[in-house]
Amino acid sequence: MSLLQHLESPLVRRALLEAVMVGALCGAVGVHVLLRRLPFFTLALSHATLPGVVLASMAGVSLFAGGAAAAAVVVLTVGAVGSARRLDVATATGVALSFAFATGVLLQSVREGGAKDLAAFLVGDVLTTSAADLRTTVIAGTAVLLVLVLVHKEVVFGAFDPDGAGAAGYRLVGLDLIVLGAVALTVVTSVRAAGTIQVVTLLVAPALAARAWSARVAPMMVLGACFGALAGGTGIAASSQWGLAGGAAVTLSAVVILVVASGCAALYDQRRHRIVTATPELAAGAR
Amino acid sequence: MAGLSEPFRDGFMQRALLEMVVLSVLAGVVSVHVLLHRLAFVGDAMTHAVFPGIALAFVTDRSLLLGATFFGVLAAVLLTFATRLPHLGTDAALGVIVGAFFSVGVLIVSTSHTFTADLSSLLFGRILAVDGTQVAQTAAVAVVVVAALAMVHKELVLRAFDPIGSAALGYRPVVIDLVLNVAVALMVVASVRAVGTVLVLAIIVVPAAAARLLTDRIAPMMVIAVALTALASYAGLALSYEASLRHEVRLGAGATIVVLLCLAFVLSAGLGAWLRRRHGRAVASAEAS
Repeated sequence: MSLLQHLESPLVRRALLEAVMVGALCGAVGVHVLLRRLPFFTLALSHATLPGVVLASMAGVSLFAGGAAAAAVVVLTVGAVGSARRLDVATATGVALSFAFATGVLLQSVREGGAKDLAAFLVGDVLTTSAADLRTTVIAGTAVLLVLVLVHKEVVFGAFDPDGAGAAGYRLVGLDLIVLGAVALTVVTSVRAAGTIQVVTLLVAPALAARAWSARVAPMMVLGACFGALAGGTGIAASSQWGLAGGAAVTLSAVVILVVASGCAALYDQRRHRIVTATPELAAGAR
Repeated sequence: MAGLSEPFRDGFMQRALLEMVVLSVLAGVVSVHVLLHRLAFVGDAMTHAVFPGIALAFVTDRSLLLGATFFGVLAAVLLTFATRLPHLGTDAALGVIVGAFFSVGVLIVSTSHTFTADLSSLLFGRILAVDGTQVAQTAAVAVVVVAALAMVHKELVLRAFDPIGSAALGYRPVVIDLVLNVAVALMVVASVRAVGTVLVLAIIVVPAAAARLLTDRIAPMMVIAVALTALASYAGLALSYEASLRHEVRLGAGATIVVLLCLAFVLSAGLGAWLRRRHGRAVASAEAS
C-alpha cells in the first residue's frame, strides 16, 4: 500500500527505473567478469572513475565522460605496468587503484567545498537520478549488450580456450579489449547509482547466483540480468520504505538473492541426485 | 622552505608523523607478504570490509578498536573459508564480501543524522587530528602483528613460493592463510580510523611493489618498503603543510602521501631497470674477459 504511494513521487520512480536497468546490465555483464576473473580489475576501474569525475565536475563537463576517460587511462596503466612482468597483474592493479583513488581525493581536497560530493559518489546516489542520467544508462547499456550479443561466440571461445581461439585466427587482444571495454563502460554507467565500492558486488553477485542455476553462458546472462533487475527493484523498494541508503540497499538485496538462489540450487541438486540414485533405471542411465 | 623540521614544530604534525612512522614499519612488513602471496585484492577488500565496525563504533560512541577488530577478523575468517568453497574462486568471493560489508557500514552510518559529513571523515580519516591514544593503539597492534609475522616468517615464505611443498611438510594451508588475512585485517583496523581508507589501501600494496622493483631478496625488500613509506609520509606531511600555510592550496595530507608513494614507485621502476641493465652489462663484460 504505502509502497505504491512512494511510487507517486517522480524521484522514486526514476530511482527505481535506474536501479532496475543498472541491475539488469550489471547482472548480464557480470557473467563475463566471472568468466575472465576480472572482479579485482572491476574494483580498480570503479576507484579510477573518481579523479575523472572530480575533474569533470570542476571543469563543468559531463561526469559520465570524465569517468569514462579516467577508466580508459587505468586500463592502459594496468596493461603497461603488468606487461613489465616483474610484477603480477594483481599488484599492478593495486598500484593503479591506489594512485587513482588518491588523485581523486587530492583533487577534491584542492577544490573548495569539502568531500561531501565525493562521499555521495562513493556510496552511490541513486535517488538523485535525473532524466538525462536515465537516457545515458539506456544508451550505454544498449550499446554494451548489443556488442556482447554480436560477438558472443567469439568472446566465450576466447574466455574458455584462449589458445584454441588464437589458433582459429581470432585476435585475442581484440577480444580482450572488447570485454574490458564493455566492463569499463558498465562500471562507469553504474557507479553513480550503485556507489564506487559496491558496484563490483552488483556485477559479481547476480552472475554468481545465475551460475548456480545454469552452466551455459547465454542463459546465465539472461538469468543474471533478471536477478540484477530484481535486486534493483527490491533494493529501491526497501530503501524508500525504510529510508535506507539506496546503493547499499540494492547491493545487499543482490547478496541476499545470491544466498537464496545458490541455497535453492544446492537443495535442488541434492534432491535430484537422491531421486536419480533411488530409481534403478535412471541411475543406470546416469552411469 | 625554511628548514626540514620546520613544519613539525606543532604537536599535531609531530603526532601525525609519529603515527605514519609506526604505520610505515607495519606496512613495510605486511605489504611484502601481501605481494608474495598475491593478496592485493584481499588487502583492498579488507580496507572496505572493516567499515561497518568503524561505523558502529562511531554511531554508538563506543571504543572503536573493538568493533573494527570484530568485523575485520570476521571478514578475514569469511574470506579464508569462502575462497575454499568449490567452484567459487577467490576473486568472486571477495567481490561479494567487499560490497556486502561496506553496504552494512553505509546503512549503519545512514542512521545517524549528519550522514555525509560523518561518512567523509570516516572514509578519508583525519591524520592531522590523530591523538596520543590512537598512536599508542596503532603501535600496540604493530608490535603484535610484526612479532607474529616474524615468528612464522619461514612458513609464510615457504607457502608463498612452494604451496605444494608446504602442504606436504604438514603445514595446513588454511591456517597460514588465516594468519595472513588476520594480519592484514589488524593492520587495517589499527590505522583506518586515524589515516583513512585511501591511505591504508595504498600502503598495503604500493610499498612492497616499489621495493620489489629494486631487489629480489625479502629482508632488504621489507627495509626498502619501510624506508620508502616513511620518506613519502614525511615529505607528504611537509608538502601538505607548506601548501596550505604558504600558498593557500588545500592538499589533503593522506592523499598527498599516497601520490608521493606512487611517485616513489615510478622512480623505483626507472632505477630498478637502470640497475639491472648496468648489472647485465657488468656480467657480460666479465664473461667476455
